[in-house]
Amino acid sequence: MAAQAYLGIDIGSLTVKVVALDEQAHILGRGLAEAGYGGQEAAEFLVNKVLQESSVLPGAVACTVVTGYGRVRFAAADREVSEISCHARGAMHLNQATRTVIDIGGQDSKAIRLDESGRVVDFAMNDKCAAGTGRFLEVMAGALGVSVGQLGALALTSSTPVTISSTCTVFAESEAVSHISRGATRQDVARGLLQAICSRVLGLTARVGMLPAVVLTGGVALNEGIVAELSRQSATVVWVPPDPQTVGALGAALYALQYGKTK
Amino acid sequence: MGRRHKRLKTASELQRLMQWHYASLRLPRLGRPLAWVTSGAPVEILRAMGVAVAYPENYGAICGAQHQATALCQQAEAEGYSPDLCSYARTSLGAIFQPHAAPMGGLPKPDLLLACNNICSTVVKWYEAAADSLHVPLFVLDTPFIHRELTPQMSAYVLTQLDELVEFVERSCGRRLSAERLRRVARQANETVRLWGEIRAMCRARPSPLNAPDLFVNMAPIVVLRGTGGAVRFYRHLHSEVAERVRDGVGAVSEEKYRLLWDNIAIWPQLYRFYNYFVNYGACFVADTYTGAWSMEIPQGDIMKGLAETYASVYLNQSLEYRARRMIDLIKEYDVQGFVMHSNRSCKPYSLGQYAIRRMVTQETGIPGLVVESDMCDERAFALEPIRTRIQAFVETLESMGGSHTTQPVVEGTGVR
Repeated sequence: MAAQAYLGIDIGSLTVKVVALDEQAHILGRGLAEAGYGGQEAAEFLVNKVLQESSVLPGAVACTVVTGYGRVRFAAADREVSEISCHARGAMHLNQATRTVIDIGGQDSKAIRLDESGRVVDFAMNDKCAAGTGRFLEVMAGALGVSVGQLGALALTSSTPVTISSTCTVFAESEAVSHISRGATRQDVARGLLQAICSRVLGLTARVGMLPAVVLTGGVALNEGIVAELSRQSATVVWVPPDPQTVGALGAALYALQYGKTK
Repeated sequence: MGRRHKRLKTASELQRLMQWHYASLRLPRLGRPLAWVTSGAPVEILRAMGVAVAYPENYGAICGAQHQATALCQQAEAEGYSPDLCSYARTSLGAIFQPHAAPMGGLPKPDLLLACNNICSTVVKWYEAAADSLHVPLFVLDTPFIHRELTPQMSAYVLTQLDELVEFVERSCGRRLSAERLRRVARQANETVRLWGEIRAMCRARPSPLNAPDLFVNMAPIVVLRGTGGAVRFYRHLHSEVAERVRDGVGAVSEEKYRLLWDNIAIWPQLYRFYNYFVNYGACFVADTYTGAWSMEIPQGDIMKGLAETYASVYLNQSLEYRARRMIDLIKEYDVQGFVMHSNRSCKPYSLGQYAIRRMVTQETGIPGLVVESDMCDERAFALEPIRTRIQAFVETLESMGGSHTTQPVVEGTGVR
């Protein structure tokens, strides 16, 4: 009998992530794609792609767990688990010392506190506001005429950041624009924006209590400026796992492994 | 929905009672004046003086439950009131400005207004605006905030104002206070409070006979009809029905797996839908801080003094420590595994400080608390998907803390999950 595979799918607001594990929780394959409209089609396409690339036959998938905002309507999964539990599970798997997970995704940011055994004991999420999320970075990169990837590097070269006082994405953008029109450099505005986002995220984290080790997941973790700023403001080492965007999907796959074996 | 919410047999009696209440305000009142009062006002005095009373807050809740409140809020906003203002206030003001667009044509025009700031200070400005628009006199009853305890000076201060209130009603509508009638009204108010308290206490049973929507719907008479025979009769019937459920082991939720505590005002437009997300996981709200806010008995002895003390000491007029203590007590008494706090955009005194209370409660009890952002009436503040995610993650947390063995919804294939 062919080896079985366990699938984790994370359908987020901006991207879709898939991780396939074998029975020993080794990664067979993973992938990431833009979510497009609703994320369902993108997820199905990505699942097939990952399975093909890792030479897993569709029939060999023993269990599938879906998470993320698109989880509700994804019919091909055995279970749906919230992204809070999945991010916690994935981060704990990658770093046993994890006590705090900060996930900054496309439309929300969350702080999760775990106990020694990896159980979620508390969590907090941003409420009805895009400040402190990936969308915020996209809007601000647009205002500065750079890519999201460039934003972090740009910020790291600034030593005199401007102050962005607004916590609203729309107002922060006009604030950034007015700084630029008054002659502030791109670097200083970029750093000011990252400081604003970080203070917001750390405010959220303070609600659950920030204990080391702190793991940063989600697409925004790829932004080196954010990582540096979060570490500086919190005076704590913030660890970014390799491939931080797929931590939620990895957690989902680990749940699939657990459920699949007990099925 | 029918399957997930077990309708009480007394539901139609409640509906008739409330319909009669609102209809009676429109009938010729044979010279009886009508007062609009806040939910924390000492209504017993008005009743004993033969004044009919209407509660704009209850009216707001009804508009909210009927999905009519948001449009009325927008009417108030069009007149310049801030969207950050309490949605009961905006609903009420919207109905004053555009009665033809309001359920029941708005509340009938009052002869006087009574606002007591024991629940919040918004009511003062809201009632001033109403007095201005309606050209009717307003009495503001000021109750000092209780940081530690109610002092004799504080109750003396409130008592003086109660005497002034009596004079105010005498002056503005020529009614006299009858001591005999006040005693009767206070006795009936206490009887209602006792019955309601016992009904709530029966939710200590496993499974709980009532869930949050039952508590929210059935609290209406304790607010708007306290001190009346109609309320006493209704609560006697509800009492026996709930006792029957307990005796027969009938739970409000089919398979009660998690017992939860609710904090803050209900999300009226989502009353059943919202709580059904919990019901799907077998979670029942067995207690809450809101519907208990009206379970305070008037002490024996001097009734006016008793009223002063009772109304000065309401839940929202006390410190965060007091509120945390109440929640901790409820958690122990009702054997609760988790609590949900509605961060209600409308109700600042109720919502501000919830994170501090949450920390205190979790520290002492070790049980998790979830904060959900929404509004009691304004549907624009309800974001379904983020709320659904939080509920699911919260139930998963409860499960991992040793609650149950599955996080999958108990009721499958209902469309709304």
